[in-house]
Amino acid sequence: MATMKFLCDTKRCIECNGCVTACKNENDSALEWGIQRRRVVTINDGVRGEASISVACMHCTDAPCQAVCPTNCFYKTEDGLTLHNKDTCIGCGYCLYACPFGAPQFPKQGAFGSRGKMDKCTFCAGGPEENHSDAERQKYGANRIAEGKLPMCAELCATKSLLAGDAEVISNIFRERVAYRGSKNAIWG
Amino acid sequence: MKLTRKSNEAPTVAKPTLGISRRQFMKHAGITTGGIAAASLLGTGMMRRAEAKDIPHDAPIEIKRTVCSACAVGCGLYAEVQNGVWTGQEPAFDHPFNAGGHCAKGAALREHGHGEKRLKYPMKLVDGKWKKLSWDQAFNELGDKMLDIRKESGPDSLYFMGSAKFSNEGCYMYRKFAAMWGTNNVDHSARICHSTTVAGVANTWGYGAQTNSFNDIQNANAIFFIGANPAEAHPVAMQHILIAKEKNNAKIIVVDPRFSRTAAHSDLHCALRPGTDIPFIYGMLWHIFENGWEDKTFIEQRVFEMDTIREEIKKFPPKEVTHITGVSEEEVYQAAKLMAENRPGTVIWCMGGTQHHVGNANTRAYCILQLALGNMGVSGGGTNIFRGHDNVQGATDLGLLFDTLPGYYGLKTGSWKHWSNVWELDYEWVKGRFDQNEYLGRIPMNTPGIPCSRWHDGVLETPEKLAQKDRVRMAFFWGQSVNTETRQSEVRDALDKMDTVVVVDPFPTMAGVMHRRKNGVYLLPAATQFETEGSVSNSGRSQQWREKVIEPLFESKTDLEIMYRLSQKLGFDKEYTKRIAKDANDMLVIEDVTREINRGMWTIGMSGQSPERLKLHTQNWGSFSNKTLEAEGGPAKGETYGLPWPCWGTPEQKHPGTQILYNTHKHVLEGGGNFRARYGVEYQGKNLLAEGSFSKGAEIQDGYPEFSADMLKQLGWWDDLTAEEKTSAEGKNWKTDLSGGIQRVAMKHGCIPFGNAKARCIVWTFPDQVPVHREPLYTPRRDLVSKYPTYDDMQVHRLPTLYKSIQEKDSSAKYPLGLTSGRLVEYEGGGEESRSNPWLAELQQEMFVEINPSDAADRGIRNGDTVWLEGAEGGRIKIQAMVTPRVKPGVTWMPYHFAGVMHGESLENNYPEGTVPYVIGESANTALTYGYDPVTQMQETKASLCQITKA
Amino acid sequence: MNNWFKQISLVLALVVGTMFSALSFAQDAAVANPQATEGQIWAQLQAGATGETTSHGQFHNQPINTYDLRVLELRSDWLAPALMAALFGMIIIFVLFIKVNGISKLHGGFSGKLVYRWSKFDVSIHWLGAIPCLLLILTGLTLLAGRFFFQPYLGEGFWAALIYGAKQVHDVMAIPFMIGWALMTVLWAKNQLPKMYDLKWMLVVGGYINFGPFKGKHPDAGFANAGEKLWFWAFAIFGLVISASGMLLLFPNLFEPSRTLSLIALILHSVSAIIITAFSIVHIFMATVMSEGGMECMVSGYCDENWATQHHNLWFDEIKADGTLKYKK
Repeated sequence: MATMKFLCDTKRCIECNGCVTACKNENDSALEWGIQRRRVVTINDGVRGEASISVACMHCTDAPCQAVCPTNCFYKTEDGLTLHNKDTCIGCGYCLYACPFGAPQFPKQGAFGSRGKMDKCTFCAGGPEENHSDAERQKYGANRIAEGKLPMCAELCATKSLLAGDAEVISNIFRERVAYRGSKNAIWG
Repeated sequence: MKLTRKSNEAPTVAKPTLGISRRQFMKHAGITTGGIAAASLLGTGMMRRAEAKDIPHDAPIEIKRTVCSACAVGCGLYAEVQNGVWTGQEPAFDHPFNAGGHCAKGAALREHGHGEKRLKYPMKLVDGKWKKLSWDQAFNELGDKMLDIRKESGPDSLYFMGSAKFSNEGCYMYRKFAAMWGTNNVDHSARICHSTTVAGVANTWGYGAQTNSFNDIQNANAIFFIGANPAEAHPVAMQHILIAKEKNNAKIIVVDPRFSRTAAHSDLHCALRPGTDIPFIYGMLWHIFENGWEDKTFIEQRVFEMDTIREEIKKFPPKEVTHITGVSEEEVYQAAKLMAENRPGTVIWCMGGTQHHVGNANTRAYCILQLALGNMGVSGGGTNIFRGHDNVQGATDLGLLFDTLPGYYGLKTGSWKHWSNVWELDYEWVKGRFDQNEYLGRIPMNTPGIPCSRWHDGVLETPEKLAQKDRVRMAFFWGQSVNTETRQSEVRDALDKMDTVVVVDPFPTMAGVMHRRKNGVYLLPAATQFETEGSVSNSGRSQQWREKVIEPLFESKTDLEIMYRLSQKLGFDKEYTKRIAKDANDMLVIEDVTREINRGMWTIGMSGQSPERLKLHTQNWGSFSNKTLEAEGGPAKGETYGLPWPCWGTPEQKHPGTQILYNTHKHVLEGGGNFRARYGVEYQGKNLLAEGSFSKGAEIQDGYPEFSADMLKQLGWWDDLTAEEKTSAEGKNWKTDLSGGIQRVAMKHGCIPFGNAKARCIVWTFPDQVPVHREPLYTPRRDLVSKYPTYDDMQVHRLPTLYKSIQEKDSSAKYPLGLTSGRLVEYEGGGEESRSNPWLAELQQEMFVEINPSDAADRGIRNGDTVWLEGAEGGRIKIQAMVTPRVKPGVTWMPYHFAGVMHGESLENNYPEGTVPYVIGESANTALTYGYDPVTQMQETKASLCQITKA
Repeated sequence: MNNWFKQISLVLALVVGTMFSALSFAQDAAVANPQATEGQIWAQLQAGATGETTSHGQFHNQPINTYDLRVLELRSDWLAPALMAALFGMIIIFVLFIKVNGISKLHGGFSGKLVYRWSKFDVSIHWLGAIPCLLLILTGLTLLAGRFFFQPYLGEGFWAALIYGAKQVHDVMAIPFMIGWALMTVLWAKNQLPKMYDLKWMLVVGGYINFGPFKGKHPDAGFANAGEKLWFWAFAIFGLVISASGMLLLFPNLFEPSRTLSLIALILHSVSAIIITAFSIVHIFMATVMSEGGMECMVSGYCDENWATQHHNLWFDEIKADGTLKYKK
């Protein structure tokens, strides 16, 4: 089975935030103001060495969020995606602490565990509910994977910086690019 | 689908606090359809769209091919519509421009189908309260008012502000509307966008448009950006730019006062002082000539008066250039060297170059750089001038301008006669619509109107100083956010002073909100471009047919319908739509409008792009290459995507479109060309025509003038015309022969209809024959004012225009910081629409100013502090400070998309209920100052002064 | 426990960046300011570089937060079983111990004379801390170890309800517990200071062993014996740790801890919980089962005179001497 991954080519990323609004667009039914499943971060902003990277859940193979969750609400799909069950989530926030990428987001910031149900990137693969059911749309948003499509953020990326898909395929694309960048007369795919 | 009216309950809108507004989705509010039938049925209720999430997943899907309405890259997308609701957006991987890619705005397009902050029905301000009214009532009241003003003050007291968001058909019909009304007081935001480009570039080599295409940048070996930041303003263009960088190892040079996101991808960034473009370019040319890097053959054959430039640049040795621009001698040298060693190279500029009081000269300087390097008319070269709005190219082409009829025909009597001929109207009738008197020695019909940048001066100036009968008393702001205009205090005063203000827009916009009026403001809800269809021209002159995605939301009407209904009220509808068929609902058949455009637009070859051909291209995106833009097969085989003009002759002649202008390596019938013979055959005894250079296959193997009936006869080609064509062509030229015969025959012999001439380095009709450096009116470098002074005050068209009297006053002590402005990727233009889109608004919630850490430290300002920024004319805005090394010490930068707060006070109470955008903020233009280009009246937004203090 | 942490390959995407960064060559030497290579960018990101972002999400300005991923393993493989052991293991041990050893009887039986030992207020703060403490132990155990030990045997709905309930109770009970802890620690500390005779007490394990060399021993003890003092100070110290770390987790927007600090808090919270749980079990057994007459103290505040002389002889002598001895009327 394929292992789905994201890959962001920092030399291509122009911080246009297309991936961010693409996500908002596609998962509108599940998102609210303040919840950003994906964001673009620019390091060394305004100086030489400035580089941007689009970050969301990286669907880790050994996901720290899954390890730390008290309710065991995370699960791996056969595509290697890390998804979670909002019905079981208790909003404790441990996954936010554990996730190196800051992917988990909570609708509220209140004390006493009133953070609400955690939300994060689903790789546009919905959740544990029945595919395309109302419950899935309201809780998790789109399920493009079930339709044979890839995540909206990568599909709409302005410069093809953000890649999504089978780990092997996308790393090959990236490897080719890096190789071509070094050589003057190379032909680009 | 449920159709429920949301009882008497008004939507509970959480009022936004200053700058930030919260998401105001009424998640469980009643739901209605987006259909018009339902809209009229439900009357006044606060209606809600059917949200995508209420549509069953398996409802049948209709796919619409549409085009993004943000910038002029022209990205295509597939819109999925279910039960009449825009439920999905899918990437168009097969689209030749964007290959499925979108920036933040494009990726958020589907929100247009929500439109929760839109104007829902016509409204009128009565005693300070917004009152709903019917369309009929609105047309009647407005029509009566217009006719009253016409009677009292003449037709020129009406102002028609148009929009770059119109379809081509909308642009054309709006310009025609103004003509039928009898005024040239019509303009749109190209005035404050690329008007200086159009003037400067057209006067250099013929057409004032992007010479190559976005895709062609893939072939460049060097890419030179000056005053352009495509990573934010044209993000999808970066797709092609980065491919060039990766594929060709193309060198990227960014000349910008700010270390922009584009600069982050550059090989060389030159942070010049705002307003010193000409010295910078001359500094590069100094090295080019010094080292013999110029293309001597190209200059000899195709360039007029490069020697004058050689003389001029002697005044700009490296030391002087560094003294003026602040860029090191080494960097200027590197910029020149990279361009010289990596040919072909392309030059790209945007508002950073154009929005100056010397804008037209800036653009000419950039052109001269490319001429010296011989980079014109070649793949990978050219001047790739990125236009801003999705159809600003079309709006410019179709004469939505104060100084020309469609097709850059100008306003001369001959121009009017040509268009009367196209319209099948009697010229005398058209003339009779105008004010026949003369004012300050000018005849209104033949004198440019009042520019978009200064309509407020047309309201506030004393009538005696205006070259028209009376001041402007009533204005339509049709798809234009007035917060994009400088001197916002005057804009507000002008809004207050007019008899009537009319906003026609999907959103209330600033003209409807920022005034202090209690009466006499009308808001008419216009449909967006996704609620109608029509053609749209991208920056690369390609036209695309944009399909209608959904029916107009709420009670809104399409632009064309509003214009037509208003003309019916005003009584010139018969003439206005003489050649245009009406459908069963008495609506204009849009394809007929396109055909009328084709019938008249010979100058730029917008004559071959029939609606059928454009639709064919739209239906066959996939058959056009993402690299070459050409169709290698399929029904449009051999054609260039979107038939970029000039697409010569009639549609039947099947010209493939011209992707690269002035390209002598191709036959004219394959999109070849050369520089246009627009200014005669000689100047002061010197030959203006090309020497030994001609397009591939031309039978006249040298320069030649533009074609006319007489010239055909002289050449012995007259009999190549059919009998029918002869009748039409007699006494006409390539621009006015409505049969297209003259063009056809010229091309048959391999010749370009507009002749074959040299590009001009000098423009003798402009205030400065060659580009001359002039310090900004508000300059921090007082030491340079005497050496590089601005112009003397002068009358430009209808308005007096100040230069020296402003520059004379030294305000640099009180306002020591340079001020410049630009775009954010999340917002567009005045931002009214994009700030009402929650997916975008969430990303930029605060108006801010970028300030260098050292300037901030001097003022005790930390990142995120609230500050007062005071412009050099006293406009004060309360905004957030962003302390960042993006700007150099002494320079500050602001985005210009914000509005809804003025002088620290929120205007949210002025909006009709439920229309306050998610994000409001101070407008940068409240602090920006006077300064206008003498040729085009472009406003100066890129070089001013300010002071910043902690609030 | 399972194989989650065998490899800590987090992000294929970014790793690819490093692998191939070597292939990207520097730009032309002529160019004054070349750009960072993929490898350099990755190195900065890996080092936890922060930057600008338009997101207002928490921690969103940092692409990668690096920390020692072994904390996750520590928590699931060691702390969770340890807490189970602290609770159930201690109970089992005690039950077995009592089976073997028997309880500590009052030699003279109940005298019927009840000596004033705790004020009503003392009794209340004890229960103010004790009842939440018990609930916190049970809910905390569910939160830390439930997914490993309980969830496999429960239906999905029941598990969801249980874990949700556990979280709610845990959050709410934290407050009375902390108040109880703070009051007990402050008000009772002076009686809990260690004395020399406590050492002797320890050597004979308090005299509770009913066989071997320890049988029949009754070491000296003041108001509190050495075992109680040990419990008190363990409770005071780990109560502080558990309260402080709990506060960080309970009020993240008040303290704005970093993610790494939160994880450390989580670990410290678990470690403290294990210790407090183990002590609590001992304490409960001692009070209820092991020491005849012990429970009475925290019911009425009085203890039997015989109990006092047997278990806290020095204290009894002292109150008798200074006249503060009070009998229940």
